[in-house]
Amino acid sequence: SLVIRGEKDEQAVLCSKDKTYDMKRADTSNMLLFIPGCKTPEELNADQASCDIIHSQIAGFSNNYWELRRCRPKLKKLRKLLMEDPYDGPDSRKDQTLTFSKYTTEDLLSLIQASEEEILHQLQVIDACKIEGYWRILEFDYEMKLLNHVTQLIDSESWSLSEVPLRTCLEELGSLEPREMIEHILLSYGRKYTDDAGEVYFEMHEDKICRAIAQMLLQNAVKFNLSEFQEVWQQSVPEGMTARLDQLKGLALVDKTSRPETIFLLKVEDLPEDNQERFNSLFRIREKWTEVDITPYIQDLCAEKQTVGALLTKYARSSMQNGVKVYNSRRPIS
Amino acid sequence: EAAFLARSGGAGGLAQWVLVELQGEVEPRQSGGLAGSLLGDLHYTREGVPVLIVGHHILYGKVVQLEKPFAVLVKRGAGESGPAGPHTHYTVTALIKTKLLFKTRPKPIITNVPKKV
Repeated sequence: SLVIRGEKDEQAVLCSKDKTYDMKRADTSNMLLFIPGCKTPEELNADQASCDIIHSQIAGFSNNYWELRRCRPKLKKLRKLLMEDPYDGPDSRKDQTLTFSKYTTEDLLSLIQASEEEILHQLQVIDACKIEGYWRILEFDYEMKLLNHVTQLIDSESWSLSEVPLRTCLEELGSLEPREMIEHILLSYGRKYTDDAGEVYFEMHEDKICRAIAQMLLQNAVKFNLSEFQEVWQQSVPEGMTARLDQLKGLALVDKTSRPETIFLLKVEDLPEDNQERFNSLFRIREKWTEVDITPYIQDLCAEKQTVGALLTKYARSSMQNGVKVYNSRRPIS
Repeated sequence: EAAFLARSGGAGGLAQWVLVELQGEVEPRQSGGLAGSLLGDLHYTREGVPVLIVGHHILYGKVVQLEKPFAVLVKRGAGESGPAGPHTHYTVTALIKTKLLFKTRPKPIITNVPKKV
């Protein structure tokens, strides 16, 4: 079955089990009559039975209809809702009776303009977890605290990063944090697998861990001296991991024009969801972009079968600067 | 808020309807609306060309297979939504894959042609 979703201030979308469609009303100056049971010439030819008059009723008429066009699911609101009350642990000092911004799957299905599968997939992508029946996102500091417990344990036990045993983690860390949270952080930052003996292990995602640590460092200031940052960052990541700038796509931006070079936090999820607004805000941040720099910040705008190149052609203007192709806004940005 | 669309119950697939597209508007001969009135007669020539006779006009059209078929939705249960969720339902009643398009000018049918004197 299909569902039409949208609040009063939103444009309606139609959702199947796994796809989302914009609904647009189309008007025609012609009159459209719909006739149940009306036969086409082929059907009449096939039915040679009689030449009697068939009395058909016109069920109705209209001069407009709804047109559906597949669109990207509108998922930015999902993160926004879950960020209203991030979970910061069982020892939270927040007064739980004050806020009640918690959402069940059913709540999300009626508030988010996307199909159920798209919503559930996005919940996984943003590492949301269900606590007491409600979908929650972890407060970043709490998330880092959990991650730190795990990386310190990996270090003290000298485990391989690809063979982190769930059982031991729960045993050693269970007294510090809820078991569900320990397992959740392992699932968020690792790939779960079972060995032949049936024991559960995790293969840790080096890139994702390094990226989280970079975010932790970068969020404390407007910008950093690039080389100083890289040094501190490498020292902060777990033993055996290599911190690399390409791990920070869509999270941070390097300014190669400043002397010395600097780096600052710029999260793609903080940017507008609408295509034109996204490009406007990117061009407000920086007048000219190379394709390499801008791609992580527009990749998610691509519709089915649309490329980044097509988006750039539509929303930007290109020019050459010092032998490099750069993109800037098509119109003046306020 | 959400409204649900579901296939109407019943054996087999969905009903197939046909769309008839006319240029301009259809007006009732007498006042009182279109409901219950006769529109006209639909014929097909041997070649499968649809012919519509409305009043004393004749229109020739063509059969068009729709590139994008239509689904006919009937709204049911429009009312207050309760704690169980939305109550507005749209039932997919039929599909339309074919239309009879009449876009040529209607020709008046002259039935009384005086004999040449």
